[in-house]
Amino acid sequence: MGAGAAAAVLVGVLVAVATGAYLSRGGHAPVAARSVPPVVVVSPGRGPAGFVPSDGAGTGGAGGGGVAGDGVAVDPPTRLRIPAIHVDAGLELLHLDASGTMTTPQDWARAGWFADGVAPGEVGPAVIAGHVDSKTGPAVFAQLDRLHAGDLVEVQRAARWVAFRVVAVGRYPKNAFPTAEVYGPTPDPQLRLITCGGTFDSAQRSYVDNTVVYAVAT
Amino acid sequence: MSGRLILRRLGAFGAVLSVAAAVCAIDTAPAAAAAPVGYVRLAHLSPDTPDVDVYLSTVGGTGAPQVFPGVGYGVVSKYLPLPTGTYAVSMRLAGAPATDPPVLTTNVTVADGKAYSVAGVGKHADLGLKVIDDDLSPPPSGKAKVRVVQASVRAPVLNLSIAGGASIASNVSFATTTDYLQVQPGRWTLRAEGVNGGPAGTLGVHLDSGNVYSVLVLDAKNGGLSAELRLDAAGMGKPPTGGVQTGAGGTSRSPLSRVPAGIGALAGTGVVVLLCVAGLVAYQRRRQLASR
Repeated sequence: MGAGAAAAVLVGVLVAVATGAYLSRGGHAPVAARSVPPVVVVSPGRGPAGFVPSDGAGTGGAGGGGVAGDGVAVDPPTRLRIPAIHVDAGLELLHLDASGTMTTPQDWARAGWFADGVAPGEVGPAVIAGHVDSKTGPAVFAQLDRLHAGDLVEVQRAARWVAFRVVAVGRYPKNAFPTAEVYGPTPDPQLRLITCGGTFDSAQRSYVDNTVVYAVAT
Repeated sequence: MSGRLILRRLGAFGAVLSVAAAVCAIDTAPAAAAAPVGYVRLAHLSPDTPDVDVYLSTVGGTGAPQVFPGVGYGVVSKYLPLPTGTYAVSMRLAGAPATDPPVLTTNVTVADGKAYSVAGVGKHADLGLKVIDDDLSPPPSGKAKVRVVQASVRAPVLNLSIAGGASIASNVSFATTTDYLQVQPGRWTLRAEGVNGGPAGTLGVHLDSGNVYSVLVLDAKNGGLSAELRLDAAGMGKPPTGGVQTGAGGTSRSPLSRVPAGIGALAGTGVVVLLCVAGLVAYQRRRQLASR
């Protein structure tokens, strides 16, 4: 095939891919949200973990998840990178509001770390949330539901980047959010990325579902 | 057009269709899920047993076992994430050849999302390997969970309490593990004490709500008891309630967004077909013009 034909076909593919993606954007056949979500699923093959020596280690405040006793994180995360969906965004700090729900980022283009929880890289489920869209267009986590097992997620804390691998993606109705699965204790450092999904309820001005990406530290 | 050329073009066309099909398949794929995994950790809890080499291998598997050399009394490993299935845990005295028959062997069946401690327990004379289920489910809101792993033969039955305060567990026998118990989070001094005036030891701890801990009680090297805290799993004291409001609907308004995925995929494929045909027709016409 000549270069001209190849180019024509290539353009065809690119346009068609873009068109197909656009047409089906937001129109996912409502994948039945799993009532039994992925439990603590962790990528195998991380190699043998070292034994903890019996003398001294683990005594005292072994908990804490990198959060000092007064709740101030050591080296709070400041940036998030997800190469597979071209996310490279700053992080705000999220907290619980008066009703006990998590606040959301002020800036559509930034994500937010739940600072009342676990710091990324410490044992436990660290949580980062971001908007799927603004009132006018896509936001930072517009493509979060396109992530697959094995995709890389990196979180910056001071000078170091903490790396995670996606192990599962789930979608749940907000009115049946699996709190224990998403926020429950884990024996190793994990990460949860959360955004909205499913259909948009215009009356409630809210999406019906949440998309949750489960990742574990590599 | 020669037959060969048609075949080549059909081949290219087929390749394009495959790409389009693959793209659509990705787009409509259900939520990704990784292979199910559970956790195992290994422990040496027998005071008079010398150091051991611990071997972990899949039952019926062909891979080489993971080996943890020179594991001494009181040592607890980190959790190893393992694909679900049945594993053999074997112990040999430290330095014994891997070809020697193991001193002890037991099997542990790892279920999805579950955690287990496999421990050498008891006195050396009647040493056994015990599989302990580690319940890492969240404690009630605002609480921590603690259990006692009793590995002291010097205080064969003991009580654990908050020093000067509430009892956590009573009459815990050597080589047993209690269930997880709810405790108030905070900074505490824990006190382990043998019943009937047995030896005692204390441990300062900081327990965070939402976390799961084991308190390991051991014979101290220089007499008496020692206690150690292990963080089994970390959660959060106050997890957020319900879902998260992370969207304003700006990408949901387009009428096209209501098109079901299947139709979107079909439309995408149709556009591929049209564009490929258009490209080939244009190419053919250019060739014809050039050859005049």
